Amino acid sequence: MNPMKKFKLDSILLPFIAILVTCLFWFVIAGKSVTTEKVDEFGDKVKVTKREGLSADLPTPTETWKASKLYITEPFAKRGELDQGILRFTWMSLVLVAQGYFIALVIGTPIGFFLGLSKKFTQAFDPIIQVLRPVSPLAWLPLGMILFSGVKIVNGDGRTTFGASDAAALFTIAICAMWPTVMNTAVGVRAVPQDYLNVAKVLKLSKSKTLWKVLVPATLPYMFTGFRLSLGIAWLVIVAVEMLTGRPGVGGFLWQQYNANSYAHIILCILTIGVVGYVLDRLMSLVESRFKTA
Amino acid sequence: MPLIEIKQASRGFGSNGTRTEVLKNINLSVEEGEFIVIIGYSGSGKTTLVNLVSGLGHADSGEVLMDGKPITGPGPDRGLVFQNYSLLPWLNVTENIALAVDEVFPDWTKAQRVDHVAKHIAMVKLSHAAHKLPKELSGGMRQRVSVARALAMSPRVLLLDEPLSALDALTRATLQDEISDIWLKNKTTVIWVTNDPDEAILLADRVIPLLPTSPATLGESMVVDIERPRDRKAINHDPRFKKLRAELINTLLDAKGKNKTKSSRKLVLPDILPEDLTQVNTLQFLDRRGPKRRNEMKLEEVEVTA
Repeated sequence: MNPMKKFKLDSILLPFIAILVTCLFWFVIAGKSVTTEKVDEFGDKVKVTKREGLSADLPTPTETWKASKLYITEPFAKRGELDQGILRFTWMSLVLVAQGYFIALVIGTPIGFFLGLSKKFTQAFDPIIQVLRPVSPLAWLPLGMILFSGVKIVNGDGRTTFGASDAAALFTIAICAMWPTVMNTAVGVRAVPQDYLNVAKVLKLSKSKTLWKVLVPATLPYMFTGFRLSLGIAWLVIVAVEMLTGRPGVGGFLWQQYNANSYAHIILCILTIGVVGYVLDRLMSLVESRFKTA
Repeated sequence: MPLIEIKQASRGFGSNGTRTEVLKNINLSVEEGEFIVIIGYSGSGKTTLVNLVSGLGHADSGEVLMDGKPITGPGPDRGLVFQNYSLLPWLNVTENIALAVDEVFPDWTKAQRVDHVAKHIAMVKLSHAAHKLPKELSGGMRQRVSVARALAMSPRVLLLDEPLSALDALTRATLQDEISDIWLKNKTTVIWVTNDPDEAILLADRVIPLLPTSPATLGESMVVDIERPRDRKAINHDPRFKKLRAELINTLLDAKGKNKTKSSRKLVLPDILPEDLTQVNTLQFLDRRGPKRRNEMKLEEVEVTA
């Protein structure tokens, strides 16, 4: 068989089989509604519906589809504050992620440059960074709430448009997503080939010109790797943040549907989060590969 | 007054204990307009020597002077051509050279600078590739860009650190001729470092061997009095070329030979017998065919009845 054809077939067929197998496994462990007829103490025949199975409350794939259909077929519908089409929720989450992510890059990249350029700076701040880096978003959020407890921007008709929880959400996303950018930029700056720096020295380039014409372009590939990882983390954090603050969004929707016992929607949310995360990662790696210089 | 003068310079690397001296008693004097070739083995400190002049490195002791003033750092009056080209991969040919020109001639008008860049690209015959990125160029073309960049700074001295070592022999020959032609036109002072004796004699006014003693030092300079322009085909039969070449190679080889010191070392032969390949491999442990240690072998006496 033509190898190219085989490759194409494999890359479509094999994932398809894997998805099928996963769905089958899901179906097997999921609970099923079983209706039995029995006679109650008054002698009446009653139908009793019970869920049975390994994980009785887990909806089956078909049940999930039935329950989620409305959210997918009308992705931008708005039926209520916490009952909206899935893409509408996704969009809200993305907007928040974009803001937090932007802050992370704007703060993280210069810190990375300072770390990469100055040994003293690294020695001074490395312990702090290493300690703050592994802290979970769930831990940052309450601190953000305290830090920004005074923040309140009210619009014309008296509704708060940007409150403490919004500020805390942005703070959490930014501080969690910042680290890969910081670390990768620092590594990138340290990895700038000595040759390029020698060129800058021989040409007697000024400090700012060395930065913009030599250091930044040479570090770009590393920076973009950091940016990609940061985006992944920002997207991870959003769910936790929305759950804790109760903001409308994919994560908020997930938590609210858990509380409302509509478990099928949880699966819908998980799949949406996964797909969106994957798409974001692909997009970033496309951008990243454009900046791969020799 | 010589343009470049090195007096009793030495240079070593590493800290106490692991310190190695690379250069010692370096004395060199280069006149304006001279083409000097310094030749030496790989790893003998040639780059370190060039860096003394370029200002990327400094001497531990002694003096490195330009126009009688000590060299304290790199500067555009000394154009450096690196062995690995060192073009910035995100800038195209024009931009790479313009980066240098813009920095060195900030008072010129934009048109003047653009003109100057174009002139130097044409000089190395790369006008057709002016907007290509370094990765789209061959090794020879990249090195031409590097030469053009160095020359575009209008340096007093052009320093070339093994500029052609990374190229194949044919491209190297072409570039030697081209650079030699360019030099004949503008007569910039050149310090060229190489490990190729033919290249050295073909190009130089004066060849100076860097003797691979430890630490290395410069040998007697040899004047190449073959008239220019030199034809690479004809020069091979020139008796002066042959004589210089033999002399140069002998000097370098002799220095290398002297560098070897005698030392006696106790050799311990491995206590092992090679694998016996004639023996069929079996699963029996005791009779394995693999390598055996001599001291593990035991003599076995077997009585044989006739």
